[in-house]
Amino acid sequence: MTVAPEKNELVVPEGHVKLVIDGIEVVAPKGELLIRTAERMGITIPRFCDHPLLDPAGACRQCLVEVEMGGRPMPKPQASCTITVADGMVVKTQVTSPVADKAQQGVMELLLINHPLDCPICDKGGECPLQNQALAHGRTDSRFVDRKRTFAKPIPISTQVLLDRERCVLCQRCTRFSAQIAGDPFIELLERGAQQQIGIAEEKPFQSYFSGNTIQICPVGALTSAAYRFRSRPFDLVSTPGVCEHCSSGCAERTDWRRGKVMRKLAANDPEVNEEWICDKGRFAFRYTGAADRVLRPMVRDKATGELKQASWTEALQVAAEALTKARGSAGVLTGGRLTLEDAYAYSKFARVALGTNDIDFRARPHSREEQEFLASTVVGTTPETGVTFTGIEAAPTVLCVAFEPEEEAPIVFLRLRKAARKGRTKVFHIGQWTSPAVEKTFGTLLATPPGGEAAAVDALSSHAPDVTEGLGKPGSVILVGERAAQVPGLFSALLRLSEQTGARIAWIPRRAGERGAVEVGALPTLLPGGRLVADAAARAEVEQAWGLEPGSLPDVPGRDTNGIIEAAANGELRALVVGGVDPYDLPDPQLALKALRTADFVLSLELRHSAVTEFADVVLPIAPSVEKAGTFLNWEGRRREFGTTLDGTGALPDCRVLDTLAVEMDADLFTQTPTAAAGDLARLGTTSTARAAAPTVESRQQSLPQSDGQALLATWRQLLDNGSLQEEEPHLAGTARRVVARLSEHTAEVLGVDKAETVRVSTDRGSVTVPFEYADLPDGVVWLPGNSGDVRVRRELGALHGSPVNVHPGGTE
Amino acid sequence: MSTVDPVTPVLTKRWLSPRSWSIQTYEQLEGYTALRKALTATPEQIVQVVKDSGLRGRGGAGFPSGLKWSFMPPNEDKPHYLVINADEGEPGTCKDIPLMMADPHSLIEGCVIASYAMRSHHCFIYVRGEVLHCIRRLNAAVKEAKAAGYLGENILGSGYDLEITVHAGAGAYICGEETALLDSLEGRRGQPRLKPPFPAAAGLYAAPTTVNNVETIASVPYIINGGSDWFRRMGTEKSPGPKIYSISGHVERPGQYEAPLGTTLRQLLEMAGGMKDGIPLKFWTPGGSSTPMFTAEHLDVPLDFEGAAEAGSMLGTTAVQVFNETVSVPWAVMKWTQFYKHESCGKCTPCREGTYWLVQILERMVDGNGTEEDIDTLLDVCDNVLGRSFCALGDGAVSPIQSGIKYFRDEFLALCQKNREKNRKPAMAGAN
Amino acid sequence: MGFLDPVKGFGVTFGMMFKKVATEKYPEVKKVTAPRYHGRHQLNRHPDGLEKCVGCELCAWACPADAIFVEGGNNTDEERYSPGERYGADYQINYLRCIGCGLCIEACPTRSLTMTNEYELANDNRQVLIFTKEDLLAPLLPGMEAPPHPMRLGETEQDYYVNGPELAKRAQEEAK
Repeated sequence: MTVAPEKNELVVPEGHVKLVIDGIEVVAPKGELLIRTAERMGITIPRFCDHPLLDPAGACRQCLVEVEMGGRPMPKPQASCTITVADGMVVKTQVTSPVADKAQQGVMELLLINHPLDCPICDKGGECPLQNQALAHGRTDSRFVDRKRTFAKPIPISTQVLLDRERCVLCQRCTRFSAQIAGDPFIELLERGAQQQIGIAEEKPFQSYFSGNTIQICPVGALTSAAYRFRSRPFDLVSTPGVCEHCSSGCAERTDWRRGKVMRKLAANDPEVNEEWICDKGRFAFRYTGAADRVLRPMVRDKATGELKQASWTEALQVAAEALTKARGSAGVLTGGRLTLEDAYAYSKFARVALGTNDIDFRARPHSREEQEFLASTVVGTTPETGVTFTGIEAAPTVLCVAFEPEEEAPIVFLRLRKAARKGRTKVFHIGQWTSPAVEKTFGTLLATPPGGEAAAVDALSSHAPDVTEGLGKPGSVILVGERAAQVPGLFSALLRLSEQTGARIAWIPRRAGERGAVEVGALPTLLPGGRLVADAAARAEVEQAWGLEPGSLPDVPGRDTNGIIEAAANGELRALVVGGVDPYDLPDPQLALKALRTADFVLSLELRHSAVTEFADVVLPIAPSVEKAGTFLNWEGRRREFGTTLDGTGALPDCRVLDTLAVEMDADLFTQTPTAAAGDLARLGTTSTARAAAPTVESRQQSLPQSDGQALLATWRQLLDNGSLQEEEPHLAGTARRVVARLSEHTAEVLGVDKAETVRVSTDRGSVTVPFEYADLPDGVVWLPGNSGDVRVRRELGALHGSPVNVHPGGTE
Repeated sequence: MSTVDPVTPVLTKRWLSPRSWSIQTYEQLEGYTALRKALTATPEQIVQVVKDSGLRGRGGAGFPSGLKWSFMPPNEDKPHYLVINADEGEPGTCKDIPLMMADPHSLIEGCVIASYAMRSHHCFIYVRGEVLHCIRRLNAAVKEAKAAGYLGENILGSGYDLEITVHAGAGAYICGEETALLDSLEGRRGQPRLKPPFPAAAGLYAAPTTVNNVETIASVPYIINGGSDWFRRMGTEKSPGPKIYSISGHVERPGQYEAPLGTTLRQLLEMAGGMKDGIPLKFWTPGGSSTPMFTAEHLDVPLDFEGAAEAGSMLGTTAVQVFNETVSVPWAVMKWTQFYKHESCGKCTPCREGTYWLVQILERMVDGNGTEEDIDTLLDVCDNVLGRSFCALGDGAVSPIQSGIKYFRDEFLALCQKNREKNRKPAMAGAN
Repeated sequence: MGFLDPVKGFGVTFGMMFKKVATEKYPEVKKVTAPRYHGRHQLNRHPDGLEKCVGCELCAWACPADAIFVEGGNNTDEERYSPGERYGADYQINYLRCIGCGLCIEACPTRSLTMTNEYELANDNRQVLIFTKEDLLAPLLPGMEAPPHPMRLGETEQDYYVNGPELAKRAQEEAK
């Protein structure tokens, strides 16, 4: 102790403590774990069980250090992953303490006695924390000459996760992740002592949407992926940062590839968005790009045979340009919801400049005019600085989810909700139909309504559930609304009223990665890029100037939405269609959509793989999947998620490039030759001070239950893992999808006479599906079906929407 | 020290009465008088009396009970719980189960007084699952006490309510560790919890909880009746009170002997009729297998918390296991280690893997296949387990090995000698 | 210039006629290399014909010239190429790059990869010089069976690694 205070003594801010680690004074926030403080200083204490996002366990004992408190050394070395910093603590890590060093070496040796010498055949070999640490700190030879504990290996604990119990060091990261983060405690410790092992209950596989994360955080090769099994070694992989192309969360990912093929995807660490987790769809669903039906060359339909045949780019573009030029002013553009910001911008500009139309819509799903108004008035232009964010959800006192199934539609939003609710700070309410797993796992309260009755339920909140409105009144509260809301008339309007009344902010969380960006770039019939209104002359003038067009050359009449375009094409009003990545079976009326494709004089399809659209297309132009191009996704927060090209030199072109060249053929300039150029062109448009759209005001209505016998209202939404085309070619992932069942209440089953049957047959005048059913707490007179799982393809087979009346009969009877 | 002056039994005074376990016998022999007295006092006063008496936990660690009770929060924001640790599983320890068999009401009375002192309205007795007879007797006693108004609502008209639940464990040694016991009681996997939070802050169902040993709680009624000064007249200054010594092994009359703390083995052996068949003493444990062993030179070590610690061991549960010269130390140590390997819960690496390894080395040695290096390996592995494990199980597991090698290294070496001769390498490679 | 100078040159020639010639009659006569000569690689087999390669890629990792490409595969009970879980599904050595350093065979944990004394590795076709698994696998000796086939020498891969040669010997004796 020095008598006089040193000159540059550390200042201890409030809520902080001062301690000494390895002779260096350091200030740390109260409650911080010692292992983190040391890490911040650059002293890495070895560890296996510790993980910054999991509750401490203190199981592996690898991180032992010597601690002195108040001048008295603690009698035993302490686990630095469980002990919090305290004022006046003196810590000696392995760097300065022989005791800590010996303790760590001892634990390392003990960990290795039962670890098999598997490294050459283990998928973790080369990136294994145990291997690295054994190499860095372990003994060169083993003193253990006795019998190792053995287990049968490997055992599949789900179709995509394999468990090798011999390799396991029982750090419990996987079990803690499943129980704490995902809320799917399907794996647990079994047995005791040296026989202790990770396991699943009999016949209850590890069916979690987040199970892939356990593979990533496993510090040894105990949990490995069936899809990546024996595929490559880390030294031979190139790791490229990327952004997930599936949902609107925009998770940061790391894509590992070699020899032009993606081998695996891992979660990258982005504390603002996905922390260190991604869902299994984001992790495993990437093989679709290598499907056999991928379109690799431009194709033109042969007039004589009616078959598509390969053509050169020049020929295909010429044919397309000629047809589209002819149809100028009578062509519609359907872009789908999976485009990058740059690509969607190119479509938006292509429609306006090359086709001279506002008939463009990205919504390849049920939609409404009210939704369009909501997007134009409330969603467009929001950014993480001005709108709701992931961290905002975590800090919100109350969250209301309306027509939004977080776990199925935006899994990372679900994880944030659960994290917030688990800490006990956030109360979560769901307006939906049944207590789904997401309601349970977010410790949520369900406010059940019949499908289609959500708007009335929102309007009635203040009288029926004053605790919800009171909760939403607390600053920071949030309303999350999903894509299903477009199927409920008046819901957006009701939510805007609720928001105004309570002060809670609304976030729109679409299901697809490209939807939010498409709103921003004006891939909508009423919007130009940047939220500018088509109907507003000043806004048009701004765009005309930025695009270098003649004043007045932009079409000034708001265009048709997806339904309008389909109808117009089906009855011959529109002569040509430009379709980019739309599955007609996702549309509200697939039959009409197919008719439109058949009827239109000319269909140009920009596609990755052969589809129902290419079947009718006159020209098919191949485009690049997201790993083969650069771009930006705008996630639901409005956050820019930029990514570079992962697989270079495959020859695949992004949509913006294809459209740019096509436009040149049509004598128009888009300036979107590359994603960078497109982004630059978009940036030049800048912000606008022109008028914003007015908010929708649609009356909510009470949903009345069907009166006739054998009828029920259909509630439906899509599950995360289903028949989606981006999940094809990945059987291991498909094996963890949820069981395809219908759900209804016991009372409803009795009334409908299906309670004795094993399956239900749900039908409309379009068709029927027969499916096993389960009881759930749905309102009476309601049946729930997954949107597009297994044989249950609601839109395709039934042509029904959320809230439609359907006939329900016992399976097998009429 | 030649003559033993056995104190009048306190804890065991009713054990030999006919039907000692019935409430009638108990009531006849001053049963439930302490409870009546206690209910007239305030909880704080009772805690103070227990503090003054110097009663220390009888489960092994010897933590002052009054102090432990005073950690319970004074308010009742959350329910408070008293949990009795009756998961007696330590090799050699056999005091709590006889106590509960012979005199269950003394425990129940203690529970009511202690619960009242800690403002708890629910008390759990976690009994080891194997002792079915004892569980039945406890359940019957709880029923009797309830019928007599010593339990349930408005006990003896005082307005104080208490429920006692007798819970049968599933026979895991680790559940004698207080936090593992709480997890097990909650229906989880019995594995020790991270501390802090300590049970007094967040124990059973995350509510303030005190976990006490059976004998500790059974001592409480006598303290209330006799007063702290009376209690302090027995035993030593820092370890007052009577204690049940469980003497097993090679003595003429093994069994439970109540004596004040600080009694020596020499005195205890006299009480137990001396060594069996006169074969001399070789080694013994003062408090179960987890306490380092003693030898004949420790006959006069006063068996209280301080005395045992000074002599390099621990008082533990005063389970005195006596071994005569016919017993091989490596063999006994191997058997104990096999127990720990079987009972290690598996949560932390040192205990799980350490006991797995130690057993194999010891088995090899006892089979005559050990080497001198194995002794060093044993000691080094013990060093890597001791103080490195999550709970005290690991510490307990290595103490027989360390103390065994400390006092009887020659025996271990002798085993290796045999092996060395057997496996002597020919002087020239390939010459055999 | 001396008198004998013109003859001196013949002297050298003459002298050489009685020395051992350095010229080799390759390719008519092939030179026998040193026993540990680093020649073409070979992927060895277990005595029952199963492949020793486990597809671990350590050879590729060790290769300073990046001449080796390996991709592992998953053995199943129906289709087994090596004992244990993993086998080398794709194995390529690019002899245009290989520098014959032998680091790969040192890295091999199963002694699957060794080097033969074969040195004739020239070709006028670059494609052919990328040797694949078929080119590199050791020929089947008597008693060997071309994989895939089940493990013949024991229940687990341990039997192969610990007692492989002995088991094979015993199996052969039994067959007699």
